[in-house]
Amino acid sequence: MSKALATSGRTPARRPVQSRVVRLLANQIELRMLVLLVVVMAVLSRISPYFLTTNNLLNVMDQSVIAGMVALGQTLVILIGGIDLSVGSLTGVSAILLGLTFPHHGVPLAIVACLATGAALGLVNGVIITAGRIAPFVVTLGMMSIGRSMAYVLSGASSIGNIPASLAALTSDSLFGIPIDFLCLIAAYAIAWLFLTYAKGGRTLYAIGSNVEAARIAGLSVNLWSIAAYVVAGFMSAVAAVFLTSKILSIDPIGGVGEELDSIAAVVIGGASLFGGRGSIIGTLGGVFIMVFIRNGLNLLNVSPYWQGTAIGSIIIAAVLVERLLSGGRRRA
Amino acid sequence: MAVLALHDIWKRFGATIALAGAAFTQEEGEIHALVGANGAGKSTLSHVISGHIQPDSGSILLDGRPQRLGGAREAIRAGIAMVTQETSLAPDLSVLENIMLPRLGMPGRLHWKAMRRDAEELIARLGREAGVSVTARVRDLAIGQRQIVEILKAVALNSRIVIFDEPTASLSPRETELLFDIVRNLAATGHGVIFVSHRLEEIFSLCRSVTVLREGRVAAESVPLRDLTQGELIRLMVGRELSDIYARSGAPARAVREEPVLRVGHLDAPPRVRDVSFTVHAGEIVALAGLVGAGRTEILEVIFGLSPAHGGRIELDGKPFTPTSPRHAIRAGVGLIPEDRGMLGTIPDFSVRENLLLAHLGAYRGFGLGYRLRRPAIQQLLSLLELPEHRLLDANLLTFSGGMQQKVILARWLMLSPRLLLLDEPTRGVDIGTRSSIYALLRRIAAEGVACLVVSSDFEEVIGLADRIVVISDGADVTTIPSELIDIEKLAMFAAPRSSAERTHAILEMLAEREGGVAFWIGIEGGRVFCFDRVGSNRAADPGFDRGGFPEIVATRIPAALGRRVPRFIEEPDGALATMLVPVRGRGGHEFGLIGVTVPATSARRDEAALARVIRARLEGEPARNAA
Repeated sequence: MSKALATSGRTPARRPVQSRVVRLLANQIELRMLVLLVVVMAVLSRISPYFLTTNNLLNVMDQSVIAGMVALGQTLVILIGGIDLSVGSLTGVSAILLGLTFPHHGVPLAIVACLATGAALGLVNGVIITAGRIAPFVVTLGMMSIGRSMAYVLSGASSIGNIPASLAALTSDSLFGIPIDFLCLIAAYAIAWLFLTYAKGGRTLYAIGSNVEAARIAGLSVNLWSIAAYVVAGFMSAVAAVFLTSKILSIDPIGGVGEELDSIAAVVIGGASLFGGRGSIIGTLGGVFIMVFIRNGLNLLNVSPYWQGTAIGSIIIAAVLVERLLSGGRRRA
Repeated sequence: MAVLALHDIWKRFGATIALAGAAFTQEEGEIHALVGANGAGKSTLSHVISGHIQPDSGSILLDGRPQRLGGAREAIRAGIAMVTQETSLAPDLSVLENIMLPRLGMPGRLHWKAMRRDAEELIARLGREAGVSVTARVRDLAIGQRQIVEILKAVALNSRIVIFDEPTASLSPRETELLFDIVRNLAATGHGVIFVSHRLEEIFSLCRSVTVLREGRVAAESVPLRDLTQGELIRLMVGRELSDIYARSGAPARAVREEPVLRVGHLDAPPRVRDVSFTVHAGEIVALAGLVGAGRTEILEVIFGLSPAHGGRIELDGKPFTPTSPRHAIRAGVGLIPEDRGMLGTIPDFSVRENLLLAHLGAYRGFGLGYRLRRPAIQQLLSLLELPEHRLLDANLLTFSGGMQQKVILARWLMLSPRLLLLDEPTRGVDIGTRSSIYALLRRIAAEGVACLVVSSDFEEVIGLADRIVVISDGADVTTIPSELIDIEKLAMFAAPRSSAERTHAILEMLAEREGGVAFWIGIEGGRVFCFDRVGSNRAADPGFDRGGFPEIVATRIPAALGRRVPRFIEEPDGALATMLVPVRGRGGHEFGLIGVTVPATSARRDEAALARVIRARLEGEPARNAA
């Protein structure tokens, strides 16, 4: 409501006098993220000589995969003006499914079961939100609780070990010196970018978030794509579960805790509006990297990990403030 | 002396100069029209007066003293209040709380009792007819009543000047009349009224003088309206002659009369639509005329698959059509241009080009975007819309004028070559200069064989634009009439909702029973009878027309009586029927048609004078006219 009033007011909106650079940065979320990333990297490499070493960069790549996979799904949901609080729990429960399946049916089938679980629970989210017209915050909050609870129930609250080598290879192998899991992340973002830019479904997600009624009247498949966004979010949580398992070589019902907030933070830092309709998948990837860099940098500087929350939180708020200033105060983010 | 005088007001928004030396003078107790085409600056100027916008330069004199209106609150203190088109009421609060809302922002303790007394007194003075109660929740009020609460809120501040910004845009004719009564009362009690509108007929009937803005400058300042004709006013507004804003080129293309594109039969979609039947042919513009709330928009929604029908039939090109979603309707060749362009027609985060391609995206069956396929169509449409190509890249459609937004949304559907276009209030919020180009565009679309179904509350527009008019009242079609046969007054009476026609209907029932015949409410124009209502089923007393009928007088069974129109029983030459007709007047003193009763000649009673008195007393006696 507020956004419609803000943009459709009868009096001309007050536009700040903008320089070309500011205008460019305001219109190009991707460019803005690139500038921010370069600045962060420059600062960190000045502070710590260790930052730009191959080892540390591999470390950074490694740390960005799981958060990045989850944030991808979260981006689609936030683009339609929704939110998914259940992604962390869905990672947890689908990892348990993976752990329960591989001893009997082998790794490939176990991965399929894991991904299917994530997508199915995402489907439940999407159908209830869309068909039941219930606020996504409420539905996914419920699913967050259900998912975590199921993870404990199914695992008997104990962790599963003896992860097969073929699963571990997903995160330990590399291609041309780049870890396989990181290549998967980049591939996933490339596909998502192509979809959001060049596919009808992608543009429909933006249209839904911007003005769902206008999209419906124009004949766009509003319900289908709204549900699809939650399915993808659930699916990507399960993808994260596979890589998480491969990385820590153990499956724990507590896996994925806190992912929902991390992913929302990455999306917001990446320039998306929580009201929907605005945002960029490349921006989200930048947001993921910035969060990983900050954590990594603070570690390198031997700052107590307790400070990480303060740093990340400040960046979230700053990102939204910058977004608002650049867009001339037209919209809340 | 002028209460308010503005001189040489300048205001610039970014690169746009909204006001370039505008001026305005308001006298006490005067209703002053402020008009101009969209973008002429009338909205900006009224916001300067109300303190919402600070001018870059210029002087504002209140009672001859220089005044700086730093904000809306200062303007309110200075006695200037604004009644906006989009009401700024809090829906969950009561009428009383809303009226007194500005007082909540003032220092000091609240005196509820005194506030309630003040509010009740205000309602008694201005809004009695609207039936607004101080304890009612605003959410439960009709749009017209909300507007009245908005006005009361402005007056409650002891405002000396009240600005009305297009107040009638969403009001029915009856509500508009009520509003005008209130505005006249305001002026009569010494308030200055600034009336911003682009409905010329309203300006002429309500205002005393007019200030015309064009491109931020004053085209005419404080000209008495009695010295102007509508044509002259239009020329002042748009700077050129508008010979015929409805773009009618002789007879409409009615040569091709095959199967209708759309046939709606006994459509039933509760709660608003009860029983509606009509047809629309290719190349024809049909209007659904009626008041806000009569169910017209809901009819469009059913045809477009936005809400389900309960009963009845819809046929598209002769085949049964039960749309389940807009997508379904679009694929069958239907397009909808909704009333609220901002909320229902525009994706604010999309560029103009992508907004133009929105319906294409909905209809496109591929996985990708298919935008490239439409490139030739876009070129063609741009020239039709008179829109330069570079504007397509503009980031926001909402910065366009209302008329241009509407054209883009029209073009969105034209791209799909629809069979049937549904248009809901297509010129709402569009200034008169652009309106004519939208009418011309619609004519052209129809001429190319598209069936157009238009919903409009503006009866002048309905008559000017449509080939045929389907009058809707309370969810049912009253009549279908060729537009050249009817005028605004008759149309308004056909469209009268049950609630406001109740009194007449009760009289007819009384008459029919007492006289044992058929009683009716009619209008007569150009040798035709227009029957607005009819009661009584006595076959032997059938006057030869039904409710909604509009036969020629000679084709009825009572031509002699209709020719004489006197409050006495007139026997027809064949001696079968006797009819008495009583001309009646409405509250405002305007003609309200005739009340008549037809009986078999043998049973005609002779106490005609008493009967006429009863009819007049019950129709005109109550409620007493406001002492204006």
